This record gives sequence, C-alpha cells and structure tokens, in this order.
Amino acid sequence: MSKEDKIKVLYVDDEMNNLHGFKATYRMDYNVFIANNTDEAVKLLEENPDVRVILSDQRMPDKTGVQFFEDVRKQFPNPVRMLITGYTDVESVIDSINRGNIYRYIKKPWTDFDIRSAIDEGNKYYLTNTTLAIRNEELQKAYNELDKFAYSVTHDMRGPLLSILGAIDLAKENEDMGEIKEMLGMMDKSILKLDNFIRSIHDYYNMNRGEQQIVEIEFEKLVADLKDIYDISAQTGNVQFDVRINQSEPFRSDDMSLRIILNNLLSNAFKYQRRSEEHKKVSLDISVEKGVATINVVDNGIGIDDAHVSEIFNMFFRGTTEEVGSGFGLYNVKDALSKLKGEIVVSSKVNEGSTFTVKVPTK
Amino acid sequence: MKLDFIIIDDSKLDCFIAEKIIRNTGKGEDIRSFTMAKEALEHISKNPVAEGRKTIVIVDIQMPLMNGFEFVEAFEKLPEEVRKDYVIYMLSSSINENDLNRVQSYASIKQFLNKPLTSNMLSTLLEML
Repeated sequence: MSKEDKIKVLYVDDEMNNLHGFKATYRMDYNVFIANNTDEAVKLLEENPDVRVILSDQRMPDKTGVQFFEDVRKQFPNPVRMLITGYTDVESVIDSINRGNIYRYIKKPWTDFDIRSAIDEGNKYYLTNTTLAIRNEELQKAYNELDKFAYSVTHDMRGPLLSILGAIDLAKENEDMGEIKEMLGMMDKSILKLDNFIRSIHDYYNMNRGEQQIVEIEFEKLVADLKDIYDISAQTGNVQFDVRINQSEPFRSDDMSLRIILNNLLSNAFKYQRRSEEHKKVSLDISVEKGVATINVVDNGIGIDDAHVSEIFNMFFRGTTEEVGSGFGLYNVKDALSKLKGEIVVSSKVNEGSTFTVKVPTK
Repeated sequence: MKLDFIIIDDSKLDCFIAEKIIRNTGKGEDIRSFTMAKEALEHISKNPVAEGRKTIVIVDIQMPLMNGFEFVEAFEKLPEEVRKDYVIYMLSSSINENDLNRVQSYASIKQFLNKPLTSNMLSTLLEML
C-alpha cells in the first residue's frame, strides 16, 4: 500500500512519548500525523484536509480534547473525531458524544485492537458520510437541471412544432405558390432547430451518463472527420476555413468529449457569421505541447456583447434571435471540459468576432 | 375601425404566420414584426400612436435577451399617455403553470393565448375588443 492510499489519521496528545509510540506502532498501516498541542493539530488539518480520523487525548494543558473537538468540528466537519480518555472523565465524554462532537471514545490505556477497530470503523463512517454528501450534491444538481430541462422542453421542442402547425394551417387556405414556398423554407428552419435541440440533448446525456474512454488522440485524424462536415458549411456559407494542427507528442483524452467541444465551437463559429462581411473566416488551431492541447477557434462573426459573455455557458442561454441556437451547445462544451479538467477562455468584440481558447491536459 | 399590430417573436416563422393571419382579417392597418423585444420597446416609446387609434401587441414569452415578461415590465414603466393606446396579448407555446400564473400578475396583459395563432382565435379576440 502506498502512502497515498493509507487512511490519514491525526493523533493529538501533549505527551511526546505517547505520540512517538503511536506513530511507531501504526505508521505501516496508516498515514499517521502527530501533534502535541491543538494549534499544531489545526495547522496539520489545514495542510491535510483529507484526514479521516482524529484521535485526541482528553487531558491536555491548553484545551481538553472535548473542547478541541467542539472547536475543530466547525472548521473541519468531515474527519471522524475520537477521544482517548480514562474512566474519570466519563461525564464530559457522554455529554460531548450526545452533542455529536465525538463519534466514539477509546479508554485509556488502550489496546492495539481498540485502536485498529476504532480507526477502521471511523473510516467506514467517514466514507459513508462523504459519499452521501457527494451524492446529495450530484442529485441536487441533477434535479435543478431537470427542472430547467422540463421547462425548456415546452419552448424548445413544442415551439418549432407549433410554428409548423401554424404554417400548415395557413398554407391550407393559401393559393399563392410563392408564399407557400416561402413558408416551406421557414418550416425547414423550424425542423432544423428541433433536430439541433434533440442532438444537443443526446450529447448532454452521452457526456453525463457515459463513462469516459481515454484513448490516444491524433488530432489530425479527429479533425479530418469534422473538416469534411465543415468544409460543406464553409462552401455554402462562403466562409474561408483554415485548419492548422501541430502535434508531435502523444496525447490521451476522451475522444467523445473532445468531439463535442470541437463540434460546438466550430458550429457556432460558422453559425454566427455576419451577413455583411465579405471575407468570412473561421480558423481552427490545435497545438499540443508539454502534455497540454491548446485549441483556438477564431471567427470574424457577430461577436458577443460584454454584458452576455459571462452567461454564454449557462444552460439554455441564447444571445441572439438570428440563428437556430438551442442554448445547449456551450453548456455542453463547459460540461465536457470540466470532465477533462480543461478550461476555456473567450475574447470577443461585437461585429468583429470571437476567439475561444480551450486548454486540455493529457490524461 | 382599423387597428395597428405589433408582433414580437424570436421565431421568424411565427411572425410571418401572425402577420399573414392578421392581414387575412382585413382589419390590420400597420403590421410590424420584431424578433427582438428590445427593438419593439424602442419603437413603442419613440412612435406615439395616432389620436383615436389602437395598437394590438402580440408577444411571445420565451425569447433570448429580453423575454416576454421582461418586455411587459419595461412597457409598464413607460408613461401612461404612451401605454394607453396599446392592448397586449401574450402568445406562447408554454404550458408551464408558473408562466400562466405569472401572466395574471401583469395588469397590462389582456389575455394569454396558446400557440399557434389561428384566424378563429384572432377574430374572436378582435370582436371582444
């Protein structure tokens, strides 16, 4: 067992002999920290917030163990607190246990079995509690997203459908072929919008429910697929599309997440062009250096108003009515990046364009 | 009596449908569509309605940047002499109860309408004016 895998245990006692004896006995099985006063103990906890079990002597000159636990609990609620004491202190111990400051106590003089079983039980309790806290947090996040999701479904899925329904209704009584064709063109857009939304949901669930699959990434290959798709957008939209890739070292990451990131950033770059711009441009730069992939997606499109830059990664935020955005794309990008421990920076100017810079470390 | 109309919806198709339906009734004089609520608000505050005329506003709820509720809130802050010649209807695909309840809380919203807008719906509504 490496030192990192061992349970971190902190022992607080004013008697140096006890501390050293304890450490000598248990350092093979646990990652033992010792402190001979409570200030030192707090300092160790600050440096090692992942200490799981704290054992403290009751009778110390600066503070009793009971007082120490009562104080330390506020700042470090997670470690399991255990008091080591003789029978004479039993009243204060009972009170402290009842108030939840102490998980259990070990009577002095302790036996090896007492200590081991106390630490192992404490560790189990710690794990159950922390896992529960993490699960609760995840659950809360999932609920919040579900709420937002249910709300937006009416608009983002019903909206385009009802538009089409309205158009059909109108077309039934219309004899003018020109107008009907105009409506068909707009119905087309409504359907694309709906499809776009459904695809984003698909991405979202793939990312959240799917396990990451870390593989060797060759950006040349990964981008080749995307380039085929976007070359068509470039042609039809009259956009100059430049791709530069500089990868001379291996890079490992989740292929799916990277695709979602690149796909959304490129799709936005092509989508949010300015119609009046004669030389529409989108460029994709990828370089891998010292284990970090830097991805730059640059366009000279409509740009993002400063007032909205901070909101663009929020779920269902849409910055414009001009295009068929779902308000889901950049949220998915951010989500994917948090899984890859990457980051994204945006710099943008209205009517000049946007630059998205993504940095992802290799796995 | 001829009426003026303002349609506010981020979907161009919905604007087109509404415009078309209004034209078919033969009662619409000046019909304008806005895909951005902010632009509609600007238009309203800068172009006073002519004496003795009324403008019907049909506004969607969920729109980027300024949604229908935000539009109504901003509208309610305009001076009374600007507001008095407008009748606002909210038109949405929303079936969310919070949205429907919220509509009731604005004095200046005459009624909530379900999408899609149809000629029957519009005729009934104009008769009740």
